[in-house]
Amino acid sequence: MTEYIVSRESFAARIWRKTLEGVGVKVGLAWVGLLIFAAVFAPFLANSMPLLMSKNGEISAPVLHYLSLEDAWILASFFIALILYRLRLGAAKHILLFLLGSAIAAVLVNVFIKPPVLVIYDDFRSAAYTEVDWRIMPPIPYAPTDYLRDLGSKGLEAPFASEGHTHLMGTEENGADVLSRMIHACRISLSIGLIASGIALLIGVVVGGLMGYFSGIVDMLGMRLVEIFEDIPTLFLLLTFVAFFGRSLYMMMVIIGVTGWSGYARYVRTEFLKLRKQDYVQAAVAGGLPLSSILFRHMLPNGVAPLLVAVSFGVAGAILSEATLSFLGLGVVDAPSWGQMLDQAVKSSTFNWWMAVFPGGAIFMTVFSYNLIGESFRDAIDPKLSREAGVNT
Amino acid sequence: MNDRLLEVRNLSTYLQADGREVRAVDGISFSIPKGDIFCLVGESGSGKSVTALSVIRLLPDGIASHPSGEILFNGHDLLKLDDPGIRAVRGSQIAMIFQEPMTSLNPVLTIGEQITEALQLHHPTMTDAEAEQRTIMALEQVQIPHASGRFRDYPHQLSGGQRQRVMIAMALACEPQLLIADEPTTALDVTVQAEILRLMRKLQDDTGMSMLFITHDFGVVAQMAQWVGVMQQGKMVEVGSCSEVLRKPQHAYTRQLLAALPENLAKPVSVQAQQITQEPAIAQTPLLQIRDLKVWFPIKKGLFRHTVGYVRAVDEVTLDIPQGQIVALVGESGCGKTTLGRAVVQLEKPTSGSIRIQGQELTGLSARELRPLRRKMQIAFQDPQSSLNPRLLIETTLTEPMKVHGIGANQEERIELAGRLLESVQLKRDFLWRYPHEFSGGQRQRIGLARALTLNPEFIVCDEITSALDVSVQAEILQLLLSIRQQRNLTLLFITHNIGVVEYLSDRTVVMYKGKIVEQGETEQVCKRPQHPYTQELLAAVPRLTV
Repeated sequence: MTEYIVSRESFAARIWRKTLEGVGVKVGLAWVGLLIFAAVFAPFLANSMPLLMSKNGEISAPVLHYLSLEDAWILASFFIALILYRLRLGAAKHILLFLLGSAIAAVLVNVFIKPPVLVIYDDFRSAAYTEVDWRIMPPIPYAPTDYLRDLGSKGLEAPFASEGHTHLMGTEENGADVLSRMIHACRISLSIGLIASGIALLIGVVVGGLMGYFSGIVDMLGMRLVEIFEDIPTLFLLLTFVAFFGRSLYMMMVIIGVTGWSGYARYVRTEFLKLRKQDYVQAAVAGGLPLSSILFRHMLPNGVAPLLVAVSFGVAGAILSEATLSFLGLGVVDAPSWGQMLDQAVKSSTFNWWMAVFPGGAIFMTVFSYNLIGESFRDAIDPKLSREAGVNT
Repeated sequence: MNDRLLEVRNLSTYLQADGREVRAVDGISFSIPKGDIFCLVGESGSGKSVTALSVIRLLPDGIASHPSGEILFNGHDLLKLDDPGIRAVRGSQIAMIFQEPMTSLNPVLTIGEQITEALQLHHPTMTDAEAEQRTIMALEQVQIPHASGRFRDYPHQLSGGQRQRVMIAMALACEPQLLIADEPTTALDVTVQAEILRLMRKLQDDTGMSMLFITHDFGVVAQMAQWVGVMQQGKMVEVGSCSEVLRKPQHAYTRQLLAALPENLAKPVSVQAQQITQEPAIAQTPLLQIRDLKVWFPIKKGLFRHTVGYVRAVDEVTLDIPQGQIVALVGESGCGKTTLGRAVVQLEKPTSGSIRIQGQELTGLSARELRPLRRKMQIAFQDPQSSLNPRLLIETTLTEPMKVHGIGANQEERIELAGRLLESVQLKRDFLWRYPHEFSGGQRQRIGLARALTLNPEFIVCDEITSALDVSVQAEILQLLLSIRQQRNLTLLFITHNIGVVEYLSDRTVVMYKGKIVEQGETEQVCKRPQHPYTQELLAAVPRLTV
């Protein structure tokens, strides 16, 4: 039958093309792409140890040697995602395979990689690492938790102010390089946005889909549940949990996700209520197709578009929640985070502009990018709006 | 010059859409004498509505432009007027009524307020009491019963026909010289349409105004018009007096349009022959037996949603559909004909009663038990926009039901079958690899039919499948249906409100009114010698082409 196959644009491809037509969305996607790159390759971008060095003819890679479990797992997941993207299977298969691959990677990493428990960054500036034949250092030769004590760093130095060492964005109160911390903080911002929204999306689609398809009593109970969850103030709940159970990034993700699904559920419900009456859904019922096919093949893809818009705004909201919490001093302690850096900027007795501008700018750009993407999606989905506003034409 | 109220000369209207220029109206000329009705006919997209909107200058400036032409109204060129100038003409001298009575009135204002506002706008000196007086008179003029009592009613309290009357009253309140009516009866039932048309003719006689009447229905043209203009793709292909154009059409396109009307379509000879041979077959057990079928929808109110009553959509319907026949189900909107059709294919759960297909009971079965029976009966829908899943290839839409029901050994075989199906509805085989948005309305309806045929059913419910189509496309689909019926010995329940289609297509006719069947029998008999008063009224209301 191959001679009949004509390459034609699918609905999804059309939406995607229209989304990409705007200028704003390109800026947004470029920024998010940069963040992903920084998050995945953080240990190779900013680290105190050499990437590669040769000593007495023996070549070694200290970065790989000191790679933490988390670093290795993130790298593995990234490459699995890349391979899947090249494979061109269905969207559902992509997600399933990615989750599976990522889980296997996590197990393998835990079994096989045994990084040194203690890392003393000062050592990398000692003779063992400096007196070598040649070495390649990362672009930013400071780890985020390297407080440069051996160099006598006083902390809170403005960009380019310290002698002998270049700190592009200055140093923070403990003397660590701000740019390095900024790069490593991408991970928290990205992961909290994606995972919290992912949890919310999953609950929202299931609850909303059931409410919309079955309507009646299911719908009534579901809507009451939605209303209950809408009334929970997420920030105060987070504060309470932090007070009782201590600080944990994963707890934050779960709480933001579990309280944030009600909006998605409303979207899906409305779409499904509308789609249920569409003739093609009725035709699918009349054709005797199984319920799973009706729900997930005939209804969900047609109702998913407004959801994507909501998700991109939701990701921005989750990032802001984490930043707020860190700013209040209740975020994660050991890992760097943009909100926590802002907190340091405020608490310091003098105003150190570089401590406020860079993390603040990064938060602003990230939230702004997601909003740009979301808005562009919305315009692409609503053909009438996109034509009138002249955004995508 | 004096007797011509409106004269349009070489008018062009170009619309900007997506950076392209569409020549919606392309150099048309016509004139309307004082006191006459001029009908513009044409298929959708022919530019008739754009012509009307150009005359009253309702097209947005940024989108529409008039590269050429003049619109002379009482000798003044409307195109040269500035905004205040055209506003003075609009409403007071030229009024317009629209197609959709449900959305053309403001739902939060009473009908009285809406008419008095229009009145006082054009007669600023009029007092409230005077305006109210005039409004009630206008409502009486359009024969709204108890006009003074309805002054304070909101639009939702009126039926569709009454709303259209209010619209006419509003348009006529300022006594315009020209009334533009854009498909004013298309959204109405045929009996209501007949009343509105009668009313409009009477008002036109009384007031001596002129009318620019836009329609796609030649039956309406025959009833209303003194002059007819036929439009095709923005051009006026034929203008003349009504009787001349309808009796002796000069242009090929007009002839083609008239020939496509169901009452003018020639029945294929073979089908007629087959009908005769089939006569004895009726004695056999009917394919489908419906007994005392009720579909009631509960009306729920209050906090606990308790049932306070029922909408009796289908009420004690008993009907036999013989094998191999086309049974037409007619009735006005809201009479329950669509609900009956959907209940038959088990898309609506009947409240009580029984439906048997080949002796097999359908009601009360679970979804699982019903699945094998779904093969036997399929449905095709009215709206070409929503009948196909926009996300799926035509190939997927057609092969998925086959897969579920185990038709075809593998996907290749099913694709082959689907390809053949497309050919049988006169589409190309490689349309399989396209998405629904790449097709026209008529093509989508064909694909919808092909989908109904995928499971090789005995019986198909066709729910108004030609209502949304232009008359020439409708003719093609009707001919296609007859040929498919002949090839596959199909049984059809054809739901429609178009009597012309019924007469052309069906063997038997069933008339529904308020959820009940009021008359059924051979089409010939029902249409020629209707027994029930409702059927008689319905048939009398159908606008016929006979001038």
